[in-house]
Parts: sequence; structure tokens; C-alpha cells
Amino acid sequence: MRPVIEIEGLVKTYGDLHAVDRLSLSVPGGTVFSLLGPNGAGKTTTVEILEGLRQPTAGTARVLGHDIREDYAEIRGRIGVLPQDFEPFDRLTPTEAVVYWGRLFNKDVGKEDARKILEEVGLLHRANLQGLRLSGGEKRRLGIAMSLVGQPELLFLDEPTTGLDPKARRDLWGLIRRLRGEGRTIVLTTHYLEEAEQLSDDVLIMHKGKAIAQGTPEELVAKSAGMTTIVMRGAGEAGLNELQRRGIAAEIESDGDVLVHVANPAEMRIVLAKLASIELPLKDMYTKRGTLEDVFLRLVGATMDEGVLQG
Amino acid sequence: MNKILADTIAFGRQYLRSKVGAFFTFIFPILLVLLFGAVFSQTGTASIDMPVQDLDDSGMSRAFLDALNNTTVVRVSMIPTDVAIRDYAIEHSLTVALFIPAGFEDAVFTSLATNGTVQANLTLYGDVSQPSFGVAIGVIEAVADQMSFALVGATPVFAPPQVIPLAPERFGALDYLLPGIVGMTVMFNTLYIMAAVCAEYRSRKYFKLLATTTLTKSEWLASKILWFTLSMVLSLLVTLAVAIAAFGVEIRFDLLTLAFIVSGSVLFASLGMLLGSFSKDPESASALANAIGFPMMFLSGSFWDVTTMPDYMQTIAKGLPLTYLSDGLRDTLVYGNLDRALGNLAVVSVVAAALFVLGARVMSWKER
Repeated sequence: MRPVIEIEGLVKTYGDLHAVDRLSLSVPGGTVFSLLGPNGAGKTTTVEILEGLRQPTAGTARVLGHDIREDYAEIRGRIGVLPQDFEPFDRLTPTEAVVYWGRLFNKDVGKEDARKILEEVGLLHRANLQGLRLSGGEKRRLGIAMSLVGQPELLFLDEPTTGLDPKARRDLWGLIRRLRGEGRTIVLTTHYLEEAEQLSDDVLIMHKGKAIAQGTPEELVAKSAGMTTIVMRGAGEAGLNELQRRGIAAEIESDGDVLVHVANPAEMRIVLAKLASIELPLKDMYTKRGTLEDVFLRLVGATMDEGVLQG
Repeated sequence: MNKILADTIAFGRQYLRSKVGAFFTFIFPILLVLLFGAVFSQTGTASIDMPVQDLDDSGMSRAFLDALNNTTVVRVSMIPTDVAIRDYAIEHSLTVALFIPAGFEDAVFTSLATNGTVQANLTLYGDVSQPSFGVAIGVIEAVADQMSFALVGATPVFAPPQVIPLAPERFGALDYLLPGIVGMTVMFNTLYIMAAVCAEYRSRKYFKLLATTTLTKSEWLASKILWFTLSMVLSLLVTLAVAIAAFGVEIRFDLLTLAFIVSGSVLFASLGMLLGSFSKDPESASALANAIGFPMMFLSGSFWDVTTMPDYMQTIAKGLPLTYLSDGLRDTLVYGNLDRALGNLAVVSVVAAALFVLGARVMSWKER
């Protein structure tokens, strides 16, 4: 099956700034593909090139089999877009906005059709409220409803949950999963590591315009962050010495917790067998899986808070 | 066409719901018509108060005051004879006050006897900057001349001028102002709203949102022009209906009027598009539109004849597009002067086309 999106050596520069730097990727149909990275990483520039809103400086990009430079008119009606910081029209109700948007895609969308779409995104109860009265989460739902009105094969959701409260964010995740379940391909940009991990089939981590890692969340974690960590709370120096005496590599944290990193299930079995024979006074013991956060920290050397690099 | 209509309907719906749009399109011109109508509908029949201190209190002075009263232009009232007229005028904020000195009648007869070697004096106190002062002095001079002719038994050489109205017989101040109000409404609504809309669409990223649909920039512009034209025609009809019903103005409405509304809407919407393209946000766009629109409203003869202004301001007025729109509307709505109207329409249309092309080129809704 031909990929829905194919990018090869994509470059976008603004003077000396390389917003996108030789990016190559491929998005298979029916998947959620996430572009993950801090603010300014080049995620939005990349999707806006794919949405036909910006011209690339160099490289090639094909969307739904069409070259974005040559025949975007063929693509336009087959994609749906939720832009970053989407704001609905203040004085149109969701029903009116969806009907209006449908007409802009040459679709004969009536009020009943609009209500069905609003029901799909969970906004039917606000169908007759003017846009300015909707909450942040409801506005994003309306944005997704508008992007769905042309029955697109491919959806671009640019930071759909930024600025939303945790409940609204998780509600939107549910909606995105449902859309994927309908067989649509979704390109998602986000700076929320958990969001990328929860929703994506494939993740591409971007930093300073470049792709620095790509794969499924599990692959990325396995490759970059190790598999699992055993945490021995309160083991202290004595615990560390005991583990090292038995040939188990471990490290101690400032609070006295001792960490043992385990690369794969086979190694885990061996380590657990050794630990079982050690008598140590512990406050608690548990295992912790590596996350995309660990991957990101290892690759970029910093954590990320609301898209801003920390440390 | 379907997309243009859909965009026009959606835009119109938001425009009318914003209340500001509805106010400036329909309520504002009606308020102006009612206001100007009420102020100017009595023009020509209102008389000016003329307080008089008559220290002579003679048959001649009383005859003079009767003659003043009979003009109906002034209403004579008396100031006590035991006060200083200057102080009295200042204390009572009088714009005019006539002083007839003691010995006025004697002075008149002396003048008759000496064949005008000695003249009878009158003094007019007042605020020379007020229009009523000019009217008062004109009336006093006319009455004095008439009485002089009567006293010496002379017959006027010139007959009073024959008056032939160029405009409809009932042409009044409001008939003159109405086209100005219409022109100003077209400018206000299209220039200000379009400047603010363009700035808002860019700052709130609506242009980017629209660029993801199959709607083109030309279609979006066409829908705005369509909306402004329709709303301005509707506004014109409502305004004229109110002016006719309330003040009985006599105007002609024809296809040429419609052509002025269309070309005026295109012109000022395009100018607004240009201003909006250079503004960071709707507030700056409104400020910029105000900076251009406000002086234009006063300098272009919307409310008064530009020929009453100083020469250099008349030159400025000739460079303002609203001058040609207001003049053209006046030509077609009031005077029925087809030739002049077509000349003004040509100017408005050419400027509209040029600004539209420029605005459409400058305005960008995609990122570079």
C-alpha cells in the first residue's frame, strides 16, 4: 500500500534559519503519525507545507499521491486541517460553522448532516451556541468537526490539545482514537510526550528542524531509554554495595533509592532471581518502564514543559 | 458561486450579529437623517432674537423696530433703558443687541434737511463670529436702506431678484445632506469594517484556516464586495425611506445611484483591505481607518459645500475619493445631473478598480 505522505529531503529556510532541515519521512495509511518536539522544532512548518500553506525551499513531498508543488488542488478537498491555536468564528453556531465549511468544500451539507458530525465529535449539546461561548475543549472539537466535513482521508491536527485541561485533553484523545478507528490517517503535532505515546502508531521526534528519532513509541523507548528500571526505595549505600558484590549494575539516587536498569525480559529474569536472595531493608520495590520522556531527555538533553525546553 | 454565496451568508450573519455592524449600517444613517432633518427642516423660517435698547423712544425709532419685526427674520425684544447695554449683553450672553441712541429721530430729520450731510447712528453689539450676527447686520442695513428710500421718496432702481430653484421645489438642507450621509455610510461601513476584518482574520489566523478549504482569495474578496454592496443598498433604501417619511425629501433613485453604491463599496472596501493588510491587529486597523476616514468625512463635502472652504482645503477635497462619491450621489439623487454624475462615477470606478487590484495583491492569506 502506497504511503499517504512521503517526504524526501524537505527543507524550509527563512534567511539563515533552517526551520525544516532535510526531513524525510513516510506515513502509512490508517495510522496516527506524530511529530513530537519542543516549540520551534519545525513541526508546524512541516505540516503547513503538507497542508499547502507554505512553499518548501527544497525537497519533495507527496500527499495522497500528489506532489504538493504541482497539483495541490487535487489534494485540498481530500484533507482536513485543524490548525494550531484554532479559533472558531465568534458569532456562528457550531451547526452554522459546519454547514458553512462544508459549502467551502463544495459539499451540500445541510443542518442534519452538520448535527451528525457534531454528534460524532461530542458537540451536539452545544450545536446552537455561538462560537465565542464555547469552552477551549469545545472549540477544538468544533475545529475537528469542521475538518471532518469534507470527509477527508487524511487529517492534520496541529497541537490539538495545547492549553486544554487534563480532562478535556483525555476526552480529545478518545475522539482521535475513534477517528483512527474509522480508518483515517492522522498526522498529529504535539509537544506532549504522553500524548504522542498514547495516540501514535509512529512518532518522529524533531529538534531544531531535524528528525532526531523515528519509530513506534515502544521502539523508541527500547532503543533510546532502555527497557525497564527496578526501583529499590530506601536501599541506600548498603543496598548498592550488596548488588554490586553480586555483579548487578546499579546506581544510587540522592534520596537513597537504588536503580537497576534492565535491557530485556531475559535479563529481567536473571536480575529478579538474584534480587530474591538478597536480604535488604526496603521501603518499597517496584519496576518503572521507560517512557518517551526518558527518550527525549536522552536525545535532546533536556526535559520539556508546555513545549519549552527545560534545563 | 455557491462558495461565494456561502461565505457571504456566513459573513453577513456574523456582521449583523455583532451589533456594531448592524448599528453602523442601519441605525447610524437613520439617526443622522433624523438629527439633521430636525435641525435643518426649519431653515428659512426661524427668526433671530434681537434685543434692543431704545433710548430715543420716538415715533421714528418705533417705526424702525416695527419694520425690523415685519421682516420676520428677527424678533425684537426690549432691553431696559437704565442699564449699560454692553454689560447687559455680556451678562445675558447675547449674540446681538441693537442700541438706538437718544436723539435718533432728530438725527434722521437733520439728515433729511442737510441732504445726508449728518447721518443718524445705530450701534449693533454682538459676537461677530456667530452667523446670527451676520444675519442681524444684514437685516438692519436692509431696513435702514428701505426707510431711507421711503423718507426721501425715492423708488428702488432694482426689483427684488426672481428666485428659480435648480433642485426640486422642496429642496431643503436635508435633501443636500442626504447624499452626503449615504456616501459617508458607505465609507464608514466598508472602510472601517473591512480594515478591521482583514486585520482580525490575519491575527486570529482565519485566513490560514480559509486557505485550507477550496475557497480562493478572489472568491473571498468577491463575497465581501457582494455583502457590502447588498448591505449598503439595503441601508440606502431604509435611510431614504425614513427621510421621505419623516421629512418629505424629494430624491430620485435610479440605476446610477446603485452604480455609485457598488463602486463606492468596492473603493472603500479595497482601501480597508489595504489598511488591514498593514495593521497588526483590529485595533490598529481601526485607528488607521479613523485617521484616514475621519478627516475625509469632513473635508469631502459630506455635510457642507466644499466651495465654502479655503482654497487649499478645496484642493485637498479634490484628492479625496469620498468627494466624488458624495458629489456623484448628490448629482443623481438630488439634481438629476447625468453628465456630472457620470464624470464622478468614472472617477470613483477607476480609483475603486486600482485600489482593488492593489489590495488584492498586497493581502496575503498564505505564509511565505
